[in-house]
Amino acid sequence: MDRLRTGDRAAAEELFNTCYPRLAGWVRRLVDDDDTAHEIAAEAFARLLGRWSRLENPQSYLYMIATNLVRDHWRKTGRERKALQAVQAGVPSDPSYQPAQDVHVRELLQTLPDRLRSAFLLHYYAGFPVRDVATMLGRPEGTIKADLFQARARLRAALGDTDG
Amino acid sequence: MADPRDDLDEWMNAQVQPLPPPPGTFELIRKRARRRKVTRAAVAAAGAAAVIAVIATVPRLVITQLNVGPGPAASGNAAGNTSSAGGNRQHTASASPSAVPSRSASASASALPPAPGNFQATSVTFVGLNTGFVLGQAGTPGQCGPPSRYICTSIAGTGDHGTTWHGVRAPVSGAPAGAAGVSQVRFYNTSDGWAFGPQLWATHDGGQTWTRIRTHGLRVTALEAAGQRVFAVWAQCSGGGPDFAADCTSSALYSASPGGDQWAPVPGAGTGYSLSGTAGSAALVLSPSRGYLLAPDGTLLSGPVASAGAWQPVTSTGTGSVSPSPGTASPSPAPCEPGPAQADGQPSGALLTGTTSSTLVLVCTSPATGATQAKQVYTSADDGQQWQKAGTAPAAGTATSVAGTATGTLVLATTAGLQVSTDGGASWAAVRGALPSGGFSYVGMTSANQGVAVPADVTQHAVWFTFDGGQSWHASPIP
Repeated sequence: MDRLRTGDRAAAEELFNTCYPRLAGWVRRLVDDDDTAHEIAAEAFARLLGRWSRLENPQSYLYMIATNLVRDHWRKTGRERKALQAVQAGVPSDPSYQPAQDVHVRELLQTLPDRLRSAFLLHYYAGFPVRDVATMLGRPEGTIKADLFQARARLRAALGDTDG
Repeated sequence: MADPRDDLDEWMNAQVQPLPPPPGTFELIRKRARRRKVTRAAVAAAGAAAVIAVIATVPRLVITQLNVGPGPAASGNAAGNTSSAGGNRQHTASASPSAVPSRSASASASALPPAPGNFQATSVTFVGLNTGFVLGQAGTPGQCGPPSRYICTSIAGTGDHGTTWHGVRAPVSGAPAGAAGVSQVRFYNTSDGWAFGPQLWATHDGGQTWTRIRTHGLRVTALEAAGQRVFAVWAQCSGGGPDFAADCTSSALYSASPGGDQWAPVPGAGTGYSLSGTAGSAALVLSPSRGYLLAPDGTLLSGPVASAGAWQPVTSTGTGSVSPSPGTASPSPAPCEPGPAQADGQPSGALLTGTTSSTLVLVCTSPATGATQAKQVYTSADDGQQWQKAGTAPAAGTATSVAGTATGTLVLATTAGLQVSTDGGASWAAVRGALPSGGFSYVGMTSANQGVAVPADVTQHAVWFTFDGGQSWHASPIP
């Protein structure tokens, strides 16, 4: 069995203690509940540990994985909500689904293309510099800057449309 | 129109609130990573595509925890409640051996793991006179599992009405902590069951595997199964710690087929009930043919339990002793509102149960004064259309749960003990037997003679049984 070496484990545990709360909190703003946030954060760490020895920037990898898992979660819950809406056809909407304070922006984010959304989340929300985002996504810095500009423009336009 | 930059900038600039990991998360992650490495190695060695397919299809949330005793290092999954407040009618219905096959105790006992030590029961359910499940916390935090040493939720099962107990797999979910954990259990038959409060988990193989049901951030505060459906109250709550059902400002009724996990709002009752900012709870009672929901605002709704049909407010013509607007057909409010939830999610202000097919019993409580509490008993012989005051229960203790039988017997659980009434609530008598200090948190009647109660003091490591219609009770230690 390929166990983590003692030193690796200590380093992994230190990274966990340092990064997990913020990663889970970051995910929490993008999903519906604490449990899902913990689930995604834990899964990201599990995948990280699986590649521990081959990573130069574990923190970047964590957020990349979490971003992809959040995207998968959005897709899945989108399907679930559509199915639920079909079931509820003709039934008044359920007011118990109280949107979170930021759910509006979150829903708009889901409409962005993956290319723009990943850059937006990693830079504006996870707080990574453009250079790191470029490295994480494997694209030139100039492209990332253009993607960020385009993402902001689309979101503002969408917010303007919905507010009007 | 608002400035579109406001929303976006505010959202982007908002500080991320750190979310601390639940206990044992790092160990869980390590095991998950290690398991995958082993799997990858096996796949690589075998070069078998079939192995890959199996691994890829293992649902991540279908995980179980099996803590077996004896010994403090073992945690057992022992979750199960005979019935909760309002669940007694379900028990009466499910007590039929022909309708609900019971597990053979003699055949299975030898192959089953023992119940875990230090079992602290919080909920009980029975699906016949013999077969039941108790859910609680067991073992010692830090020494439970696998998979998590800090998740000690356990289930104990019995196939001989509490004479012996064995370990049953439980969902990997801790004790209630805000929106996380489970504290209650119900089984529809020996296969289909649910652990809930606040999370919702389902099993369809008698507890061998559990699947987390998505509730979209809502907390499940009550659940009962009868007829051909399972119903649950999904609520928007903000209570923290063990008070998972506290500060609920909205609730809705959902249902599913017992054998499936496709939950949907119940038409007419799935649109939410709220108390304009005031926290409230809801009571759910099922009979073999109808279900009743006492909404947070005191509205009583009723609907079928044999189908996914709509539920409607019970209306009254206003001729009862407790009714609105005499002579007019209008929604019939119950004599009291559910009020804030107890620790297990059940209402504290209105305890609802049923006896005969159309008779409902409601115990309305006042705020406790020291060790006493006023408890008015109301009955309705017409499915909740009209209510009559039946009597007053003894003031000693705070009422926690009430159960009825098809013969009309009522058993009231309080923090002072158990009271029984055989005249519809007009008079009450203390039950016989050695009862625990601190009273009981729950009582349910499985049949006219048999019932079970959960002590408020979980360190009793036992549940109490009656086999004479609630007159006398005795402890059944777990394990």
